[in-house]
Amino acid sequence: MVTYIVRRLVTAALILLGASFLVYLLTALSGDPLEELRTSSAPNRQALMDARINLLDLDTPAPLRYFKWLGGAAQCLVPFSNACNLGKNISGQPITEALGFALVQTLTLVTGATILAILIGISLGIVTALRQYSALDYGVTFMAFLFFSLPIFWVAVLLKEFGAIGFNDFLRNPEIPPVVALGIGAVLGIITAVAVGGETKRRLIVGGSVFAAVSLILFYFSLTQWFRNPGLGPVIIAIMGAGIAVGVTILVSGLKNRKALQSSLIVVGIGVIAYFAVQPLLNEATGLMIFLLAIAAILIGVAVGYFMGGYDRGQSMRAAGLTAFLVGALVVVDRFMQAWPEYFNNSRVRGRPIATIGAGTPNIQGDFWIMSTDTLTHLVLPTIALILVSLASYTRFTRSSMLEIMNMDYIRTARAKGLSERSVIMGHAFRNALIPIATIVAFDIGALIGGAVITETVFSVRGMGFLFIDGLLHTDPNPVMGVFLCVAITAMVFNLIADLAYSALDPRVRIKA
Amino acid sequence: MSQPTQEDELLAQQALSEAAATQAGSEVTSGLSQGQIVRKRFFGHTGALIGLAVFALIFLLAFTSVGAFGIPGWWKYNHVDVSPLVNDGAPTSSLWPIAWGEHPFGQDRIGRDLFAMTMRGAQQSITVMVLIGAIAGAIGAIVGGLAGYFRGWVEAVLMRLTDVIIIIPLLLLAAVVGQIANRRDEGSWLNGFAANNGVVILGVFLGFVSWVGLARLVRGEFLTLREREFVDAARISGASNARIIFKHILPNAVGVLIVNVTLTMSAAILLETALSYLGLGVKAPDTSLGLLVAQNQEAFATRPWLFWFPGLFIILICLSINFIGDGLRDAFDPRQKKFKAKTAVETTRHSSTTAPVADAPKGS
Amino acid sequence: MRFGRTSKAVGIAAIAAIALSACAGNSGGNTPSTGAAKTGGTATVVEVNAFNTFNPNTADGNTDINSKISYATHSGFYYIDNKLNVVHNDKFGKMEKVSDNPLTVKYTINDGVKWSDGTPVTAADLLLQWAAFSGYYDDADPKAKTGTSYFSYAGDNTGLSLTDFPEISNSNKTLTLKYSKPFADWEIVLGGPGIDVPAHVVAQKAGLKDTQALIDFFKSKPRGNPQAPLPADPKLKAMSDMWNTGFDTKTLPADPTLFLSNGPYIVKSMNQDQSLTMVRNKDYNWGPTPSLDEITVRYIGSAPAQVQALKNGEADIIAPQASADTLDQLKALSSQGVTVDQGNQLAFDHLDLNFSGPLADQNVRTAFLKTVPRKDIVNKIIGKLDPNAKPLDSQIFVPQQAAYADSVKNNGSSAYQDVDIDGAKKLLNGATPEIRIMYNKDNPNRVDAFSLIRESATKAGFKIVDGGLGKSDWGKALGKGGYDATIFGWINPGVGVSGVPQIFKTNGGNNFNQFSNTDADKLMEELVVTTDRSKQDDLQKQIDKKIWDSAYGVPLFQSVNVDAYSDRITGVKLMPNQTGVWWNFWEWAQK
Repeated sequence: MVTYIVRRLVTAALILLGASFLVYLLTALSGDPLEELRTSSAPNRQALMDARINLLDLDTPAPLRYFKWLGGAAQCLVPFSNACNLGKNISGQPITEALGFALVQTLTLVTGATILAILIGISLGIVTALRQYSALDYGVTFMAFLFFSLPIFWVAVLLKEFGAIGFNDFLRNPEIPPVVALGIGAVLGIITAVAVGGETKRRLIVGGSVFAAVSLILFYFSLTQWFRNPGLGPVIIAIMGAGIAVGVTILVSGLKNRKALQSSLIVVGIGVIAYFAVQPLLNEATGLMIFLLAIAAILIGVAVGYFMGGYDRGQSMRAAGLTAFLVGALVVVDRFMQAWPEYFNNSRVRGRPIATIGAGTPNIQGDFWIMSTDTLTHLVLPTIALILVSLASYTRFTRSSMLEIMNMDYIRTARAKGLSERSVIMGHAFRNALIPIATIVAFDIGALIGGAVITETVFSVRGMGFLFIDGLLHTDPNPVMGVFLCVAITAMVFNLIADLAYSALDPRVRIKA
Repeated sequence: MSQPTQEDELLAQQALSEAAATQAGSEVTSGLSQGQIVRKRFFGHTGALIGLAVFALIFLLAFTSVGAFGIPGWWKYNHVDVSPLVNDGAPTSSLWPIAWGEHPFGQDRIGRDLFAMTMRGAQQSITVMVLIGAIAGAIGAIVGGLAGYFRGWVEAVLMRLTDVIIIIPLLLLAAVVGQIANRRDEGSWLNGFAANNGVVILGVFLGFVSWVGLARLVRGEFLTLREREFVDAARISGASNARIIFKHILPNAVGVLIVNVTLTMSAAILLETALSYLGLGVKAPDTSLGLLVAQNQEAFATRPWLFWFPGLFIILICLSINFIGDGLRDAFDPRQKKFKAKTAVETTRHSSTTAPVADAPKGS
Repeated sequence: MRFGRTSKAVGIAAIAAIALSACAGNSGGNTPSTGAAKTGGTATVVEVNAFNTFNPNTADGNTDINSKISYATHSGFYYIDNKLNVVHNDKFGKMEKVSDNPLTVKYTINDGVKWSDGTPVTAADLLLQWAAFSGYYDDADPKAKTGTSYFSYAGDNTGLSLTDFPEISNSNKTLTLKYSKPFADWEIVLGGPGIDVPAHVVAQKAGLKDTQALIDFFKSKPRGNPQAPLPADPKLKAMSDMWNTGFDTKTLPADPTLFLSNGPYIVKSMNQDQSLTMVRNKDYNWGPTPSLDEITVRYIGSAPAQVQALKNGEADIIAPQASADTLDQLKALSSQGVTVDQGNQLAFDHLDLNFSGPLADQNVRTAFLKTVPRKDIVNKIIGKLDPNAKPLDSQIFVPQQAAYADSVKNNGSSAYQDVDIDGAKKLLNGATPEIRIMYNKDNPNRVDAFSLIRESATKAGFKIVDGGLGKSDWGKALGKGGYDATIFGWINPGVGVSGVPQIFKTNGGNNFNQFSNTDADKLMEELVVTTDRSKQDDLQKQIDKKIWDSAYGVPLFQSVNVDAYSDRITGVKLMPNQTGVWWNFWEWAQK
């Protein structure tokens, strides 16, 4: 095992060396660093060009420059020496500094989107695999491919037009005309009717009730100007919590496990009581506090599950813990909604909360909720755009992985044993289908660090992608190399971790030491 | 790159096929050759059939309308000629009454015919796509096959090479390639050729850099197949390495290859779009769908036709290729059928497409 | 997920509870403030590039955004208005020409003008600027690679290199410059639009006691001589390093002396690569008084994103690099009160013919120019943006300048107003020359101009070859030959004449097409030593005519300048040069 890891690391270092040399040469060859100066009519054009030549050390041939760069980069390997030198970019900023900033920007932008895309993609993949060649399967496949085929800058422009500008205009007077409410209800009803499957009668009932519920809720929202003053309140939290409890129990243990259902419902009860208890605490919230509260919620849930026991104590604990977490999330969402009117009327926001650009409103001040709301309103559009375009690969991949697994002998065995379809899918198929998905997730993390060039451009975020493309357009290898190093090292490390995890998860795969 | 590449999918499939490698695959035997089975399954896949039809239509339209390879087409304009603005550049076609008019897709600001430009763009995009698919497929098959079959130092060298290329950002490679393909200042034959066929050079070069995912996949497939009994049998009966590779292993690996080549091709269209958006792809006055969309993105609210028509063609091509690939995957995968056959009973009422699948013998 | 003991879980929960109460205590119970009371209002301006240094004069820091921020936070002897006049700011001080021969200029700084840390602005600050801009101490020889180049100044030092070490009055408020020969652009080489680097800070960082020590030090150093380079002076090096890179930053420095203001605004906060906020400088009373209390600058690269930000109320003033479609989108916003201004920029595209190859013959050049559909090009490329746009008819002036109209009348441009295919055919006399046109394929305007020229020139019998190159190659190819004509852009400086010989003089640095005309050369030699503005205009008009008479090429169109602002803001005015809308930021007000 150790020899394997060491060997992998040594190979990785060699690969990195070779690839970085290539990247450096390619960047240096990719254009003319003096382009913008060549047609300058400034009388001191030559002096400016000399200054640029000096700055980028263009008199040294590119291969030699690489070794100069390598000399600086090698110092990064010396721990605690603080001598890391990746050169400077064209505006004189050290690359290490620029990278640090860009990394934060990029991670804020893409982390949420990637996690959500993975979650949604895997769920959709499983559902479509289980209902292969149904209308739902075709619908999801079509939509996934459609979004995959859309240029992201186009998605972004549309989102800004309707998701931000349109929605903000709507908020000025948040009334939904009855026709629109009915229309939205009808569309959602039809979609659920198609998606739900089963007998025509069942489809009609489900679709009809969705239609009625959605339309009514929209009427209610319109009447109470809910979008201006949103809120859930304990009653809604209790109702939604009960729904969550049932849903979680179905997935985790099946409704037959009464103890699990009961623990989940008890947790919902505790959650509603806690809703009142934590309100004053939440007014003083910090990020750390929310995190600790989430942990506490999960622990309480697990504890309830433990004490309720049942024939499978683990299932009860899982169900209750998960329910507790989700109910806790509802409470936090409710608190965000309470902060909404204040954010909405903030003098910097001026009643147009959803932003089209940047990572935050300049000079905004406020408590934790205002600041977090501000971040969220800036992240919502890029996140949706990224999810839409990256959903396809996860959905399709999970689908085929799941189909593959469903044909395995052990699934047939499980079925033959008389296990319920739920335990076959959740207990046997899903877990094994996840193993190969781990590989693609690991591979994606490298790409994630690399940023999303076009998304960053359209949403005015200066992250890794911007650093990379800006360096490339100025034919300045230093920023390109900085981004490359980050991406390549992360990708390699995560690939190694994925391979190790793979062998740990799947006993059939053995590492060749 | 913000666009997801199909690379992930390819890689992960490799992992999948490795995981499944231990499972003894049992070939279907019911009197049909493999080709026949594949064909039958493919033609039973509605999505793939529609995809194929749409793609064929676009292909014909694109290549006959404005002509190609020096043969003139039936459309009266070409993508470079400027003609007076009709109707202030707005499309002259209408659905009711159905009419083409002078410029069915409208004109750009200096009066070039957008239909001609879109058709030329579709030609270019299809050319790039096919070139990338063909070259990446060929190199991927050779490198992956050699590495997987011979193992040892051949594998070590080839796979390390693959590793080096795979971690270089595709955008950078493409940017450099784009530069080279558009360089005209030196008088070599390559530049002379590039001046007239910029898009061909772009496609070839992009093909040279996008084979790595395929190579890994094919290697995985070869690793599995070379341990199989029929390969041993062939070896014992004295077959040469070349014969084993080409006659025995390759036909079995061709499914994986074809499926993933189609996926690479659909990703290639998007790669070309993204490159053109960043100014690194096909250069004006020649045109491609990606370039048209990128050039006209600001027109999206004011002269939407400039944006919609090329965008529509990108989506159509990409969708149809994806569906063809999807159909091929289902058709080539012998394991998939069993599950389909079993669940066909449950799902027949949702979908008519399972019918031909249900006919397939229930293998064990 | 299995805990061995309940107590363990309880214990963790208890710790969590303690931690919670602890951090809740720390955060305090202050309620959020919703912005200060409005006295003068706020505005958000969009810029393309991100700010990165408080010294915009260095070769690396010389980007438009740095100059604009410096413009708003510093003041000086003059500024340039949108008619391209040099406007003197007498409240700041006086800049006067005291003698024509030798040319002597006297700068006097008024009392009461001070940096935001209370230090008065003195001649020392001006001296430091002179030292940096003139390159007086540089003894570097780029060919021999000897000597040292101290201050890395982005501008042109031709003018100030003619000056001796300035004379400084005892009061430390006056500085007098003597030129060794007349210099045309003396008005704009020093002292404005902002004196942006505080001498006392540079002195202190370089280890000098005060500004007097700095003056004495500069005085003691002789002029640098590239022929006899001295070893680098460590003190001067320390000072120039401070000047070159010491003010570079993307975040607000902890040390307030690094962003001192002596102008209407002072930087309050910076959010790296996102935004920068300036507030009113309380002390400021030596120049136009601004009306807004706060200006926020946000950086947005793409034009459609800028428009959508304006539409969504995230920006108040934008000046996007506009296409016709962007402009249409902006005009559609007029329903929500957005005002759109459009005019011409100083940048213009032009077609230049090489004085070699098939175009060496004046007749062929004239014939070719006769086929250029200038009106059509302007209409199709610019017409949507500006329906009143006309082809640019002068090689030297732009319509914003008063002399333009006069020059156009008799410079001979009228011969090329309309396409004259027959005239061209006559001149060609049956010949079909092959013309290779080089241009930047990545610039859609140039691509379209090329397409239109090809269309038209082919009719007269020219064989047009597409010699377009990618954006990283075409610049290198300029002046190298391998093409016969080229389409590219110049930026007219607007103020000053030093750029003219650069382009049109025999062997000028930017003379890419080998144009050479002895009469024009003589006129240009005279031009650069003429300090009288009206005389300068006369000379330039004559040069303009010589150029047109030689069938040099034709200017095509000026780029369009667009700005747009929301109904919250008033007082925004177009400006053709790179200062853009900022030129009169003090007139911006919130309704």
